[in-house]
Amino acid sequence: MPKMANETAVLASEAILGEELTDPVWIRIRDLIYQVSGIYQAENKFYLLISRCHVRMKAVGARTPREYMDFLMARPNRDAEMRSLLNEITIGETCLFRSVPQIEALRKVVIPALAEAKRKLSFTKLRFWSAGCSTGEESYTLAMILLEETQTSLKGWTFEIMATDLNERSIAKAQEGVYNDYAVRNVPPDFMRKYFTQVGTSFRVADSVRKCVTFNRLNMLDDSKMLFMRGIDVIFCCNVLIYFDGKSKTRTVNHFYNALLTNGYFFLGQSESLYGITEKFHLVHFPGATGYWKTNPPDANAGAA
Amino acid sequence: MTTGTLERFRSRITSIDSMPTIPVILRPLLHCLDQPVEQIDVARIVELISYDKSVAAQCVRMANSALFGRNKPVESVRTAVMNLGMWRIRDLLFSNSLSQVIPANRWIVDPSVFWRHSLGVALVSRKFAEILGYPDTEKAYLAGLLHDIGILVNSMVAPEEFRATFEKATREQIPLNEAESSALGFTHCDSGRVLGEAWKITPDLIQAIELHHDIGDPERGGPLVAIVHLSDLLCRLRDLGYGYYEPRQIDFAHEPGWLYLVMQFPNLADLDLARFTFTLDEYAKEVRELVSTVFTP
Repeated sequence: MPKMANETAVLASEAILGEELTDPVWIRIRDLIYQVSGIYQAENKFYLLISRCHVRMKAVGARTPREYMDFLMARPNRDAEMRSLLNEITIGETCLFRSVPQIEALRKVVIPALAEAKRKLSFTKLRFWSAGCSTGEESYTLAMILLEETQTSLKGWTFEIMATDLNERSIAKAQEGVYNDYAVRNVPPDFMRKYFTQVGTSFRVADSVRKCVTFNRLNMLDDSKMLFMRGIDVIFCCNVLIYFDGKSKTRTVNHFYNALLTNGYFFLGQSESLYGITEKFHLVHFPGATGYWKTNPPDANAGAA
Repeated sequence: MTTGTLERFRSRITSIDSMPTIPVILRPLLHCLDQPVEQIDVARIVELISYDKSVAAQCVRMANSALFGRNKPVESVRTAVMNLGMWRIRDLLFSNSLSQVIPANRWIVDPSVFWRHSLGVALVSRKFAEILGYPDTEKAYLAGLLHDIGILVNSMVAPEEFRATFEKATREQIPLNEAESSALGFTHCDSGRVLGEAWKITPDLIQAIELHHDIGDPERGGPLVAIVHLSDLLCRLRDLGYGYYEPRQIDFAHEPGWLYLVMQFPNLADLDLARFTFTLDEYAKEVRELVSTVFTP
């Protein structure tokens, strides 16, 4: 069902589009979204941005993009409208195996690098945190990837996945581990066979995967709880920070920084960035993906010498 | 595996029958574009296009492609040039004329992969130069476009050895220059320099060709080399590489080329690198489109 709804929305707005793509107001809306949330809409994905805006324009009764811009910038409830728009933009982002380049970077670069460093210290355990896990798609994807790795390159290793979210209903749904065909559309066929069973029209995640993940409710703005998160190798926090104001973003990202071990990695959603939030992390490039790395600054040693 | 040296190949590189020759329209084109933008002779460029039927046809085809889709089909070269704009015409001319450098059956790296990478690095280098405030953005473009011509030399003068080397790099997912160093004893940077000298292109471009992988002391090559070096890295990580996955991470804060540029151009420290990367993905799409137009049979 959601698939139908999404496709219809896109098709309908594609029909309206035409000349509209070139309206400079979209560039301004794009820049505003980036400034507020760190989410960047590439120009080749403008049709998506526009179709999402059209949904909101209809809801608030704005007739032109320029008028809608006003709803986002000048009206008293502009913050609420921006949240609704961000909701609209990130809708459908939650599915299993959402970002293949990010998964490949994890498998082929991040995990080997972490494992090599840990092996030297005789550690054989990796800890992951899926922060703002929503209904569990990302957490289970991670679990399946790691299960595969421990059968190949990480034989004898153990791993732990902590998944947290503010919303209790999301947590309950995540623990259930049942997804519709739209949510599993990107899952590779062999993973589908190995880790899912069909229940009616839905798909249930295998127990072997479910027991890899522990779900907990956590408010990321609660400093006292965040202080307990320590010793993590990789944190994922996709499309969550966009809902925080500037100060809360910085505070939360600082908590993430402290929660990570040195050489640990922090991943945001595919088109999010930490620009203007903190400079503690190093932005690193992987093939087709970017991540943030906790490492000592290059000049730290030079300064000491 | 026998280890050759660049010296052993030098005679082959410079011998007339096997060396890639500079395309006929490239030299006047380089000359035309070596002027300030406002002095570029548009009529002359249109004339150059008309010399080459296949280039002219490509201009028309591209003007009609989805990327520039117009309601009314474009039929004349003149209209195509008007619609595409000088910059894209130039992209097309360069990639087309350079793709004639070696015969169709001598390519070892897939030509469309090669030009996607070269054109990608050219466009990213120019963008980089713009952001930095480096005065000669066109030089950056050219350096990016030509940086890998050594791959063409290697394909011509040492086809068997180079094929095995390229296959090894692809299989082991390692950088091409590393595979070349160990298998051939020289890299496409070395052979590219030799070709650049034979073509008598300017020394700063030759330096960009020679040092784009191993920039050594950044002072030596200056900003141009650093720009091409970083653009090459970025392209290889944004699906505009040699057509195979290179499992690695690049941390600009640890890159000598980046650190050098930050010192030379202090405004770079404020660059939103993440956003810059996102815009590269937009480029990538355009580059793919352009290259597929050039290589549509």
